[in-house]
Formats: sequence, structure tokens, C-alpha cells
Amino acid sequence: MTNRQARIFAVASTLIAALIFLVLTLDSHRQFGELTNAENITPEVTRGKDVWHKYNCINCHTLFGEGAYYAPDLTKITQHRGEAYLKAYMRDPSQFYDEQKHRRLMPTQDLSEQEISDLIKFLDWVANVDNQGWPPRPIMVTGAAVSSAFVADTTRDIEDIPGVADDTTPVTEADDPRAKGEYLYRTISPACTACHSTHPGADMAGPTLAGLATRAQAIITSADYQGEAEDVEGYIRESIVAPSAYLVPGSMYSAGGTSFMPQGYDESLTQEQIDQLVAYLATLK
Amino acid sequence: MRYKSQSVAYWYFAVAMVLFGLQLVFGLLSAAKYLGPDPLLYILPFDVTKVIHTNLLIVWVLTGFMGATYWMIPDESRTELHSVKLAYIQLILWTLMGVSAIIGYLFRYGTGNKLLEQPLPHKIVIVICMLIFLYNIGMTIKKSGRFTTTEGVLLIGLVSSAVLFFPALLYYENYTVSIFYRWWTIHLWVEGVWMMIMGAFLAYLLIRLSGADREVMEKWLYVIVGLVFIAGILGTAHHYYWVGVPQYWLPIGGFFSALEPAALAGMAIYAYSAMRRSGLAHPNSLALHWTVGSAIFALFGAGLLGLAHTFPAVNKWTHGTLITAMHGHAAFYGAYAMIVLAMIVYALPKLTHGRSEEGSTLGYWAFWLQVSGMFGMTLSFATAGLGQVYLERIMGMGYLDAQLKIQVHFLMLIATGSLFALGVALFIYDFFRYRPRFEASEEAIETEPTVTRKR
Ligand code: HEM
Ligand code: HEM
Ligand SMILES: [Fe+2]
Repeated sequence: MTNRQARIFAVASTLIAALIFLVLTLDSHRQFGELTNAENITPEVTRGKDVWHKYNCINCHTLFGEGAYYAPDLTKITQHRGEAYLKAYMRDPSQFYDEQKHRRLMPTQDLSEQEISDLIKFLDWVANVDNQGWPPRPIMVTGAAVSSAFVADTTRDIEDIPGVADDTTPVTEADDPRAKGEYLYRTISPACTACHSTHPGADMAGPTLAGLATRAQAIITSADYQGEAEDVEGYIRESIVAPSAYLVPGSMYSAGGTSFMPQGYDESLTQEQIDQLVAYLATLK
Repeated sequence: MRYKSQSVAYWYFAVAMVLFGLQLVFGLLSAAKYLGPDPLLYILPFDVTKVIHTNLLIVWVLTGFMGATYWMIPDESRTELHSVKLAYIQLILWTLMGVSAIIGYLFRYGTGNKLLEQPLPHKIVIVICMLIFLYNIGMTIKKSGRFTTTEGVLLIGLVSSAVLFFPALLYYENYTVSIFYRWWTIHLWVEGVWMMIMGAFLAYLLIRLSGADREVMEKWLYVIVGLVFIAGILGTAHHYYWVGVPQYWLPIGGFFSALEPAALAGMAIYAYSAMRRSGLAHPNSLALHWTVGSAIFALFGAGLLGLAHTFPAVNKWTHGTLITAMHGHAAFYGAYAMIVLAMIVYALPKLTHGRSEEGSTLGYWAFWLQVSGMFGMTLSFATAGLGQVYLERIMGMGYLDAQLKIQVHFLMLIATGSLFALGVALFIYDFFRYRPRFEASEEAIETEPTVTRKR
């Protein structure tokens, strides 16, 4: 190879690659609108994006997996946490996490109420961008997925451990509704496991569901219960479809009479699915 | 030093040294916060230390590039710089920009866009500095009438770096689109045009240090540039996974970025064989350590560790974890920090009084401590990252709980980071130990290559 040929190789390969890249860029612009739901970029969303930048969020967190690795990815956070929860969290993260326990805590950002609500709108826009289904498995903020209970339970095989495989055979209709309910518990969106554990004492964003049935019995018979449930099953159903009917005490679970548990399961789940969930949860004695 | 005006390089290098030292202070602070709890949570939280850490990196490396260019161009074109005064004005403006940006970050004055956090006024000053710089270099070459291939590659690399900064000046309504163009700057810098800069410095150093034949070296330089761009331009797509752009970027990213290591392997072979074939005899063997070290460490950090997570099927699990930090450190250090340090070590005996060409024991300690420290840091990030991917991404353990399980790797990171920082401290001390020289020296007025062949 002569010097001249080497130069032609350098120039030609650069030009060809650049040309292809530019054509694909143009084509991407054609598709950005649809992939990102650009029509949903309202002024609130844009202001929320500015809040994200102004408070330097990206230098602790990631969004679409880009940013820093000191704090959890927030791409799908609005699918795991309800708006009420996120608002309360943004006002004072120290109500929710203990620095001594996790060794990290998000410093309070002193956002205005307007900024908080814009930010959540922005994050919700992010959560709905079509990004090839990433993350392949939900990224949780807290909680130990493989609980010792699962490991100790030898009747279950490894695929049943949450998060181990999406492609496990789902439990079928013919199965016990309780088994189906347990499957739903981990797989519906937002997954119950994003906030609840079934370990005694392991409260996460929501209270632990260990001993739920026993507690439910005590709650519905207590004097300050204002809800409509008359039995354990009824109470659990009510907690799913109308989370604010009874508020578990604690400022990390509710504010101003509204539970932080996501609203909308009554619409996203079928009646049968709710029955199955209730059947499963009622086994947690 | 053959030309008096080359002494401006000294001050560029001096600024780079100070900022390099500061960068590590903020790196170690950030790493300590991984361990927590953080007593500085409300004074100097992680986001601030981290943004300062990465911005200082970019500023000092660019300062180093500029200094090294001001050193190299007179040598290549055999003339004094067009304007020494302009070079100093540029340095002052640039340093003020860098320092005030860092101070601003302490108060959260920045745009919060990863690696491009500089506020708009600062970005404009960056552009002005680049223009002064390119003008000064361009005029120098024009005046001399001697324009070598090595210079040409360097110059095109520098001009393109300035051009590719342009998308960073624009405002994007759509976050996904802003990510798309952020990589035109960041990726096309580090895996495109900065590689031309690195290649040019490498060629310059190898021709001088090993006495390799210029004709041959420059031919291979073209080949390397060709390889860089065939793979690197379309390789941008490895940052277009999972961010809301069309699906076809996935296979394109996987295929073309997997070719990127070829150029890096080319550079390592280039450096190694030049050294072997010509039987080096230049007295400055410390500079040769840095030169060859840079090519090899870049192949490891950028080529090998980049390849490790560049396929979509792998990246799906590792994206946004400490695995990225593993690769970012090894790649940036090997390719860009080390090549700047190589240029400094090569130029320093001529830029200062009383320093021996061979390099001191201290200089070798600085080299080996840094290389082994950075290797250890890379392993620490790698083991922490693997733990994170497995626990958090695959098993579905919560982020905070998974981080608690990998604390031991953070201890290792701090230990190896301290070793690395010690190496840097020695380097900086060695740099400032001798007083700068401002006159062209007699003995250096020779023609290249300044080597005697070893038989
Ligand atoms: C004492 C030595 C160092 C320590 C302890 C250190 C530590 C850190 C830490 C903790 C981060 C934040 C990662 C995150 O986002 O969570 C970081 C980021 C980074 N550091 Fe360092 N660092 C050191 C030296 C260096 C050097 C010498 C370089 C380059 C030559 C470098 C380049 C980077 C880069 C490019 C990032 C951003 C990485 C990414 O976002 O993937 N660091 N460093
Ligand atoms: C000298 C050359 C290189 C440097 C300085 C470098 C540096 C970096 C840095 C700092 C990041 C983190 C960027 C961010 O998230 O903002 C990164 C990401 C990445 N690099 Fe490189 N890199 C180099 C070469 C390569 C090569 C040759 C490959 C592939 C073979 C590669 C593959 C990747 C991939 C796949 C990511 C994205 C990781 C993720 O977020 O999932 N890099 N690089
Ligand atoms: Fe890249």
C-alpha cells in the first residue's frame, strides 16, 4: 500500500460512514415524534425537564440509563410509585429512607410545589417513551428480591423467583387462584413487589404484607376503621381498588388523607385478577 | 527546545497538572460517598463532587492537548509560533473559564447535562478559545509553509473537535433528541476526532523517540484514521440503545462499535513495532514508557473493556451501572490522560533547567504507581459493577440494597484510587521540581531524529 492509497482509504471510509450516519439521522428525526410521544411534551413536561437539569439530578441518578451511578435509575419510576408518593418524597426524602441503614440519602432539594408537579409530569413522559423495552426487568429502588422465604421453599423451582426469568411458563387458568394471584403480585404493572415485601418487619415504600390477613382482621374490627369491608377478603380488595379508604399510620405512607399507593388498579386489572390477588394475599397470615 | 515560543507549552502543562490534581481530590471524595453515610450531604453532595470531577478531567485534558500542540507545531513546521501573546491570552481566558465553571458548580450553577454541564456563557468562551487556538496554529503553519501529515491529522482532529462542540450549544425541547445530539459531541470526540489527536501525538513521539521512518509512520497513521472513522462514526449507535430512538440503531451499534477496537489494536501494534524495529536509543526512555503505555492501556480500557459491553444483548443488562464507570476510567486514562502525560514527559527536559533526559527514579515511580493504581481501580469498578448487574438487574434486588452488598468493592476502589493519586502526586511534584526555561537551547538545535541507533 502506498501513502496515497492509505490516504484515500482514510478519506473514503470517513465520508461513506458519515453519509450513512447522516441519512439515518434524518430518518430518526422522522420517527422521534412517534417514539417519544412528542405530542405529550406539554409546557409542564418541558418545565419539568428544566427542573431535572437545574437541580443536577443527572449527576446522581440515571434516566434512560444515562447519568451517574450513585442513585437509582428513574426511567420508569412513575410506573412504580404513585404521584402522591413521589410528591411527598420530593418534599422530604429523609421521611422515607434512613441514612444509617442504607448509608445513602437523597438531600432535600427545596423544590417548589410547582416544580415538583412539573418534574413528575416530565418523569411520567420519560416513562412512556418507547425505548425498546428497557430495562428488561424492572429496576427497583429497595427490597431484596430473592427473599429467604423463596429460597427456603423447596417446592418452588428457581424460575419462580421474581426477576429470574420473564419467559417462565405463566401459571395457567387451571391453577389455584392463589398461585395465579401470587404470579400477578410480581408481574402486574406497577408490580406490588416494587413497594411491598412479604417479610415480617421489612417495610419498604409500602408496609410489609407479612401477616396481612391477621392484621386486616384486627383493623376491620377496630373503632377507627371507616371503610366498608366486612371481612378480610373485603378489606384486601378495598386496599387494592381504593387505597385511601383506610390509611396505615405513618407519614411515609400517606399525606392529607391520600394513600401513596398507586391509584388505578381498579381500572388496569380485571375483576378476576383482583379476585386472584385477594385470594393470594389472604394467605399471608 | 528548538524554538523559543515552544515555552508557552510549559504554562499549559502547569495548569493541566494543577487541575489533574484537583480532579482526583473530587474523585476520591465521590468514591467516599459511595460508602457513606455522608457528613457533607448538605454542603458538598455527590452530584457536585462528581460534576467537578468529570469537568476537571475534560478541562485538563484539553489544556494538555493545547499545550502539546503548541509544543509540537513549531517542531514539525520548523518555525516559531505565530503569536506567543495570543497563546497566553488564550490560556488565561481558558483557565478563567475552567475555574469559574468549577466554582459555579459548587453553587449548582450549571446545565445539568452529563459532561456538558458548562453554562452557556462558559460554552461561548470555550468556542472563543478554540477559535483563537486554531487561528494561531493555522497561521503558524501557513507562515512556515511546511505542513506534515502528522500535523495535518492533528489539525483536522482539533478543528473537528471544535465543530462537534456545536450541537452542545443548542437547546432541545425533546429530552431524547438532546441525548441523540449529546453523543455527537461526546462520542464523536472520544471515539473519533480525539483519536486523530492521539494518533498524531503518538506518531510525533514515536518518530522522535524510536527514530522510526516518517514515511512509514505517516502511512500507517492514515490507515488508523480510516479504521477509526469506519467504525467510530456509526459506532455512535452504541449510545442509542434504550433511549427512545429507532430500533435499527441496535444492530448498527453492535456491529460497528465492535469494529472500533481494530483502530486501537492498530495503534498499539504501531507503537510496539516502531519501538521494536527501530531499536530505540533516544535517551528519554521514560517518555517512551508513557507513549507505549498509552497505546496499550487504551487498547485495554477502550478496546477490550468497551467491547465488553457494546453488544445490545450485553448492554441491556449493564447499561447505567458501574460497569460503564469501569470502562470510562480505563479508556479515558489510557487514551487521553496518558498521551498528554507522554507529551509532557517528552517535552519537559527541554522546557526546564537541570532535568536529565533519562527521567528520574521519581518519574518511574509515578508511572508504575499510576498504571497499577488505575488497573486496580478498573478492577474495583468491574467487580462492583458485576455485583450490581447480577443483584439489581438480574435478580431484581432493590438498588439501595444491592449497593450495600458491594461495599467491599468501594473500599477497594478507595484503596487503589489512593495508590493512583500517589502516583499522580509524584508526577506533579516532579513536574514542578525544576524551574522553567524560556530560551531556545543550543544543544537542541539539531535535525530530527535525535536518536543514535542501537545495534
Ligand atoms: C483517585 C482517582 C479517582 C477516583 C477515586 C475516581 C472516582 C470516580 C467516581 C466515584 C465517579 C462517579 C461515578 C458515578 O457516576 O457514580 C467517577 C466518574 C468518572 N471519572 Fe473518576 N475517579 C478517579 C480518577 C479518574 C481519572 C484519572 C479519570 C480519567 C482519566 C477519571 C474519569 C472519570 C470519568 C470519565 C467519570 C464518568 C464515568 C461515567 O459516567 O461512566 N476518574 N470517578
Ligand atoms: C478512547 C476511547 C474511549 C473513551 C475515552 C470512552 C469513554 C467512555 C465514557 C466516559 C463512557 C460513559 C459515557 C456516559 O455515559 O456519559 C462510555 C460509554 C460507553 N463506551 Fe466508551 N470510550 C472509549 C472507547 C470505546 C470503545 C472503543 C467502545 C466499544 C468497543 C466503547 C463502548 C462504550 C459503550 C457501549 C458505552 C455505553 C455504556 C452504557 O452506558 O451502557 N467505548 N465510554
Ligand atoms: Fe462511545
